[in-house]
Amino acid sequence: MEKQTPVFQMKHISKRFDTTQALDDVSMDLYPGEIHALLGENGAGKSTLIKIMTGIYSPDEGDLLLDGKTIRLNSSVEAQDFGIAAIYQEPMVFPDLNVAENIFITHRSRGLLMNWGKLYEDAEAILAKLGVKLDVRMPARGLTLAAQQTVEIAKAISLKVRVLIMDEPTASLSAHEVRQLFKLTYSLRDQGVSILFISHRMEEIFEIADRVTVFRDGKHISTRPRAEVTQESCIQDMVGRKVEDFFVKNSSPRSDLFLSAHGLGRKGVFEGLNFDVFRGEVLGFAGLVGSGRTNVGLALFGIEPADSGEIKVNGKLEIVRSPEQALKLGIAYMTEDRRQIGLTMTMSITSNISLPMLLRQYLTRMGLVKHKAETITANQFRERLNIRTTNVEQQVGRLSGGNQQKVMLSKWLNARPQLLILDEPTRGIDVGAKAEVHQLINELAAQGLSIIMISSDMPEVLAMSDRILVMREGRQMAIFNRSEATQKKVLTAAMGAVPHFEVDDEKESEMEKPA
Amino acid sequence: MLRKYERFLTWETLLFVLLVVIVGINALQTPFYLRLENQINLFQLSIEKIIVALIMTFIIINAEIDLSVASIMGLAACTTSYLWLHKVPMEWCVLGGLLSGVAAGLFNGFMVARVGLPSLVVTLAGMIGFRGLARVLLEDRSVGEFPAWFNNLGQQPILGPFPLALIIFFILLVIAIIILQYSGFGRLVYVIGNNKDVARFSGVKVEQVKMTLYIASGFVAALAGLLYTSRLGAVRGDTALGFELDVITMVLLGGVSIFGGSGSIWGVLLSILIILNLRNGMGLANISGNTQTGVIGVLLILSVFLPNIAREVRNFWNRRMYVHRSHTQTTEDTKGG
Repeated sequence: MEKQTPVFQMKHISKRFDTTQALDDVSMDLYPGEIHALLGENGAGKSTLIKIMTGIYSPDEGDLLLDGKTIRLNSSVEAQDFGIAAIYQEPMVFPDLNVAENIFITHRSRGLLMNWGKLYEDAEAILAKLGVKLDVRMPARGLTLAAQQTVEIAKAISLKVRVLIMDEPTASLSAHEVRQLFKLTYSLRDQGVSILFISHRMEEIFEIADRVTVFRDGKHISTRPRAEVTQESCIQDMVGRKVEDFFVKNSSPRSDLFLSAHGLGRKGVFEGLNFDVFRGEVLGFAGLVGSGRTNVGLALFGIEPADSGEIKVNGKLEIVRSPEQALKLGIAYMTEDRRQIGLTMTMSITSNISLPMLLRQYLTRMGLVKHKAETITANQFRERLNIRTTNVEQQVGRLSGGNQQKVMLSKWLNARPQLLILDEPTRGIDVGAKAEVHQLINELAAQGLSIIMISSDMPEVLAMSDRILVMREGRQMAIFNRSEATQKKVLTAAMGAVPHFEVDDEKESEMEKPA
Repeated sequence: MLRKYERFLTWETLLFVLLVVIVGINALQTPFYLRLENQINLFQLSIEKIIVALIMTFIIINAEIDLSVASIMGLAACTTSYLWLHKVPMEWCVLGGLLSGVAAGLFNGFMVARVGLPSLVVTLAGMIGFRGLARVLLEDRSVGEFPAWFNNLGQQPILGPFPLALIIFFILLVIAIIILQYSGFGRLVYVIGNNKDVARFSGVKVEQVKMTLYIASGFVAALAGLLYTSRLGAVRGDTALGFELDVITMVLLGGVSIFGGSGSIWGVLLSILIILNLRNGMGLANISGNTQTGVIGVLLILSVFLPNIAREVRNFWNRRMYVHRSHTQTTEDTKGG
């Protein structure tokens, strides 16, 4: 990258919220035509920085400079006028407007009457510039998440964006969609846009970034060209301590069968699943977002019961119709959606952990809650899982994402399941917490717990699983043994490069590479 | 230092202070005010609404609503009177009245918990429908001349100076406190009110809890309707008309969130005492009923408004405290959440 003048500079930015110093004397330069990755644990100050850059917050101290001139941003509209825009993990499109309307939604001066012809032409021109094929007349509702993100990027371009912030844009995308997003990002960079790229996925950052900046606890720790950083050095900077390779897997020997599914299906969602789960094994569920992995989990847990095929638990045929019943059979499901269906955010850590077992374990004969017993349990888990809190009566909503995840794990471990279904167990939590969760999964499996781990994080699936079941569009494509699974094989199966693959009835369908 | 006091800056504290002020002013106004007879009398005038407010607290914390309670009161009263007109022995009439309330609650519960319709709509329909049924039963008649034992229950003290309705209220109050604040069922009411998906995904039988609450609401409303009948000694189709809004006011003023998940019986009890004492005090001061209602309305608005101010004040203290602390220990590490 040739030395130019930076397009956007932040000098000595500080921002405080109540008792939290979110940003502490942070300086950063962004050059035109560079992809600048920003790394940091949750709470490192990344979100605050974005909000300051987009005019949502104003800094307590420090200056923002555009082309060397100090600017003041009072709203996101002003930021847009300066050519600073952001796209987020969840695209913010208007579902009932079409693609072209969404692209030009912020253009305020387009006259009294809509010139539809020109609108569509302009929209198509922008998409062509990005090298994307999308029907500009299609309502945004029908688009995939990735396509909606593309629309957001097009929107930013229509605003003559100079600085584009991408906040975990790949978190909800499948591997294939990530490829396309990267292509788009490169094309933006080549057009001279300065991109601030935020992601928790280390391998993505190493692939895409020109420079890497690390934040920790609101402070700027380092900015280095990609060539000079390694995964280890980044993690070192982020956590300020040495983290050992967080993918340690002690392959657990297969013992006896806990659950087996034969021809499992739910109309219109998934069909024909055949798999076994042994005690003490981690069965990974890989596949693209929307391939039906979560739905299989929900079926086993009785939330969306299967309507064809059979489930055998301990060799006995069972029909799982409700979560209560699943819990009695020893099956627990930990959701990926912590906020909406995982935890009651305004209630205490204690009452969240005890909830699934409340009626069976924490009631006196009169039906009153044994608060002491509850608190003891909560404190045990706090110690065992290293939940960072001053008090187990603390509201769950006030904990960081990683700690919330640990509370959710505690809640389900306390139910003493024999099969624990983990849906994206490490999404959106920082590397430190992620390593702890992985460690815990290994320990639990070693103790004989069966685990189904649904994950979109490919390295995670490959490193943690004893076997990997790959799904695509509601169908089981393959089951790989740990030794034979490679990223390439799994991806190939997940993306359907195997056109007419028949699901094998054998327990371990040895999948050959496609012709 | 300040954090010690911060804990007490809750809605319940504010209510308690307000109550003390109101009672103080009233007691200064008239020497009879604090006499037991006046206090009992003051309860007695709204006792039926207060009883229904207890079960309404459960329902609103559960993030639902029951607009049909007053109509169920009317329905129970009219069913009882209708049976009485048809020469059924009074004991059976009372039972019939209570059963009509349970049936109405069952209907609400089925529609809300099983079918999954919004409770606002279901119970609005119930409010109209049950009232209609009550009017059909009695048409334009006013029914009275119940047996003396029945009228005495409402009008005579049965235990010392306390009438039956007040005793029932105290019993139900204790039961409500135990169940809501200390029992497993109460915990589930809060959890479901907070987030019913979390409850369902944790194996909680959400349907069952909601069903139970609506049946209980129907029963308690019917009981209140019968107590009202025995106190007045007469029933018409419009008995207890419009009571539901007073009941809901008591609950919301008590700090129960209309979105569910938070609040307590204690707050509701305080709010009941405030409303009763305020109305009584204003009555003693010759302030008209309409003005009284207006004042209650202002209070209700404040009840939504003030907790937000209280939060601001707390934040202000926190900031002050931080500044104070960071002066004394400059390098204190504060990690972001």
